[in-house]
Formats: sequence, C-alpha cells, structure tokens
Amino acid sequence: MANEHDFFKVMKEQVSEIIEKKYRYYFVVDDKDLHDVVSYLFRNMGCRLSTATATENYGSIEVLYHFSHDKTGTYYCPRILMADKENPQMNSITPIIKGAEWIEREMFEMYGIDFKGHPRKEPLLTKDNPTVRKQPLRVRRVS
Amino acid sequence: MTSNNIPIGPYHPLLEEAEYFNLVVDGETVVDIDMDVGWMHRGHEFISEQKTFTQSIYLVERICGICSTSHPIACVHAFEDVDNTEVPERAAYIRTLIGELERIHSHLLWLGLAGHFIGYDTVWMWAWKYREPVLQMFEIISGNRNHYGMMRVGGVAKDVDPDSIPELMKNLDMIDKKMAMIAKVAKDDPVLRSRLKNVGVLTQQDAIDYCAVGPTARASDVYTDVRKDEPIDAYPWIDFDEIVLPNGDVYDKLVVRVLETIESTKICRQCLEKLKTVKGPILNNVKEISAGEGLGRYEAPRGEVFHFVKTDGSNRPVRHKVRAPSYVNIPTFTASCKGIPVADALITLASVDPCYCCTERSFKIVDKNHDPYQLDLLKLSQQKTEQIRREIHAD
Repeated sequence: MANEHDFFKVMKEQVSEIIEKKYRYYFVVDDKDLHDVVSYLFRNMGCRLSTATATENYGSIEVLYHFSHDKTGTYYCPRILMADKENPQMNSITPIIKGAEWIEREMFEMYGIDFKGHPRKEPLLTKDNPTVRKQPLRVRRVS
Repeated sequence: MTSNNIPIGPYHPLLEEAEYFNLVVDGETVVDIDMDVGWMHRGHEFISEQKTFTQSIYLVERICGICSTSHPIACVHAFEDVDNTEVPERAAYIRTLIGELERIHSHLLWLGLAGHFIGYDTVWMWAWKYREPVLQMFEIISGNRNHYGMMRVGGVAKDVDPDSIPELMKNLDMIDKKMAMIAKVAKDDPVLRSRLKNVGVLTQQDAIDYCAVGPTARASDVYTDVRKDEPIDAYPWIDFDEIVLPNGDVYDKLVVRVLETIESTKICRQCLEKLKTVKGPILNNVKEISAGEGLGRYEAPRGEVFHFVKTDGSNRPVRHKVRAPSYVNIPTFTASCKGIPVADALITLASVDPCYCCTERSFKIVDKNHDPYQLDLLKLSQQKTEQIRREIHAD
C-alpha cells in the first residue's frame, strides 16, 4: 500500500501550498483534481475520511477534508477554495466515498455549497422543517 | 405482498438523541431504511466560536451526557495541536484514566440496554449494577458523577488524591471479576448466541466505505483505534490490546465491547500504579494560542471523536468543527439493516450504540394509506428471544 512519500511524489502536480506539521499535512487542491487526490488517498493509501470542515473566509469559502491514515496516525487534509461566495460549487466526493454523504449535505445546508454529482442534494438537518428558509444557514458573505 | 413503512422516532427510548428512522418492510423483512437527523441540533459549533477556549471546553463537555469527557479530550487535543503544546506526564495519566473509566461505564450502559432490548432483563440490571461503582470512582476523582470538568489546555484541572488509589483499585478488581463473568456468559449462553449471531451484519467493505469507527468498525475486522493509531496522553506508555473481531454481526459488537471493558480496567490499573510514583505538575501554563489550525481526536466509547479548530491569535476559535462517532456510524444502518427481519431491527439499530435516553418510546406503523397500525418492536424482539429459548430448551 502506498505511503505518504508516494503520495506527494505521485500528486506533486495536483497539490500546492503544503503546510506540514507533526502528523498533519494541509494542502490546497484544485477542484478539477479533487477526485484524483481523494481516490488515491482512499483507495491506494487506505485512508479513512474523518469528516470535512467548511469555513467562510474573507475572500473565499473553503472546504477542508480530513483523511486519517490510520496505519501511521497521519492526517491528510485537502483544501478546496471557492472564490465565488455567492454560488460556491465543487465536485462531490460521495460517489467515491459513501461516508461523505452526510457531511456534504450538511455543508450544502450551512454554507450553500453546491456539490456537483452528489446523489442526494437535500439538507441534512432541516430537511422537512417548514419554518426554515431555504438559504445557507451560517454563511455571512463577508467579502 | 405490500410494503409498509415503520417510523421509529423521532422520540424513542432506543435513542438518546432524537432521530427518525423509516424502515420499509416487505412482510417480515426490512427492505430499505431512511434516516432523518437534526432533531437535536443545538448549534454547538457556532456557540463555541463565540466563547473563549476554556469556555469551549466547558461547552463541548455538554454535547453528550455519556461520553462527556471524550469531547473535552478531543477538544483540548485540537487546541494543543495548534502550537504542539506539551502535557505534563502526571496529567497525561489522569486524562487516560478518566477516558478509560468513561469507556467502562458507557459499555456497561450499552450492555444493559442491549440485554433489555432482546428480553434479557437480568443482564440489564446486573450491568447497570456494576456500572454504579464506576460512577462512584468518578465522584472520588473529580467530585462529579458526570461532566467531570477535568480537561484544560495543557493538562487537567484536578489531581488524583493518592489516598483514594486503594479504593479505586478495589473497585477495578470487582469490575474485572464481573466482566469475566459476563464474558463467559456471552461465550457460553446458547440463547444469546442464537439471538445475536449473524444478525445485522456489517461487512468489512461496508465498514470501510461508510468510514465507520469504534467498536462498530472493529467488529467488522477493521483496525481503527485512535489509541493505537495516534497514541497521545499516556497511551504510548500503556500496554493494552486492540480488540478486533471478524464477523460484523451484533454478537461480535457485543463481544468487542465486553473485551474492551476488560482492556480498559487493565489500562486504568496501569495509570493508577503510575500515579503512585509519577509526581509533578498537572497543568502547563498556556497563556495564549497562536493563529493556525489544530486537529484533535480521541477514541470515545463509540469510536473516534474529531475536533478541528482554526484560530487567529485571539482568545477564541474562529472555526470549531465537531464530529461525533455516531455521525459516521448511523449511516451504516443502510448496509446492516437491509434484509433482516423486523424483530432484529431494534437490536441492530442499537448495536452501534447510538446514545440513549429515558424518553417515552413512540412509533407506529402506517400502511400505504397512512392508516395507523400499532406494533411494538421491543415486544417483537423479546418474543423472538423467548421463542429461541424455548426451542433450545426443547432440544
């Protein structure tokens, strides 16, 4: 099974802005390369998706996936940045990892991110709630 | 044959968190399941971002009443991860001791309820009887039976009184004996085996695909245990085994938890022995947390608790992500519940240990015309056990 040195060799074209800490790697991935990177982490390296964090920054909305490589206790965190804060869009990884379905639905609900290719595009927490307005619940659109 | 929907919840004694499961059944067989969450959403992440770091620890302790120390441990790990803050050795042993005691009481709680769901009320009463001394141990150590308030960035808030160690050891001896007895019952009792073997099987591939964690994954032959994968606090110095079983059924999930409880008493004993000799401070003076990102996790009784924080150098997190183990374990029902009889659905849903509470159960069956039809899943489950018991004794 591939290890972390292989990962950064194989994916050197796809990853940038690598931040290395003890047992943690944070790096930026372009949306078009996301499926390649995620497939390699999940299928080739045997990483497990812990969860993902969406954050509203001043200039963008970002999604940070957290992949745990349980054999070494290392985290690989691909970061996707979306400059269009009004209509953030990116590819869904649920077709590759079933375990990403809920968290992507939650990020859609909270931050209005449109995950292209997600099999079930509907809110997770307020699905049938008649009183909730259908708009991102957390995003403030600070720019 | 017509298919019916069986809604379970949103308020149900099986579930501590209010959640809604819709079982689609064809005759006696579950053919599909859908889940609806959000009934208990309290906005902890958002609230935490309005609080200081110390207040955040207090807040996350109240996310769950049962794993009330797993969230604070993961949270302080995340805060410490920003600057790679060191923790004093004595504090590391105290953290591990508290975390493992929590595992013992949580697994005993689940064991009791699992016994109740399949009509083994003796198991329920005994397991909860043996859980009580664990809560007393918490009271001796922290002054509280629940919500111990022990975790701080850089250490722990309270020291363990050396004079209390003999009494804590005595309680551990008692729990060890009783757990050995329960392990023997689980191994030898033909009714229990027949009732739980090959029920609600989660295959290894499904556990990997759904990113399952904790005993749910380890009962499906998946090696994932934060204590082994990324040993922090006292775990690098502690000797214990990771319990992994191959079949993925409810029986294996039960055995994993029973054996893990025995491992936990082993860990607690090692921590207490060390606390007799390891002296020194219990809290490093952390004055500020710099700008950056931190990621912390801990192996809660139900699996990996995950916290991520983003800081900007102020006294509060600008982003705090929390992911509890049930969040990834509950979607595995899609794989484990399909094709099983309705009578087994209750124990299968309970087998991942989604938190419990004592609220009144409420569910009803409706047919396609939405006409209500009352059916008691708990009774169904208990009747099946009774039937197996009669058949085995008749042989």
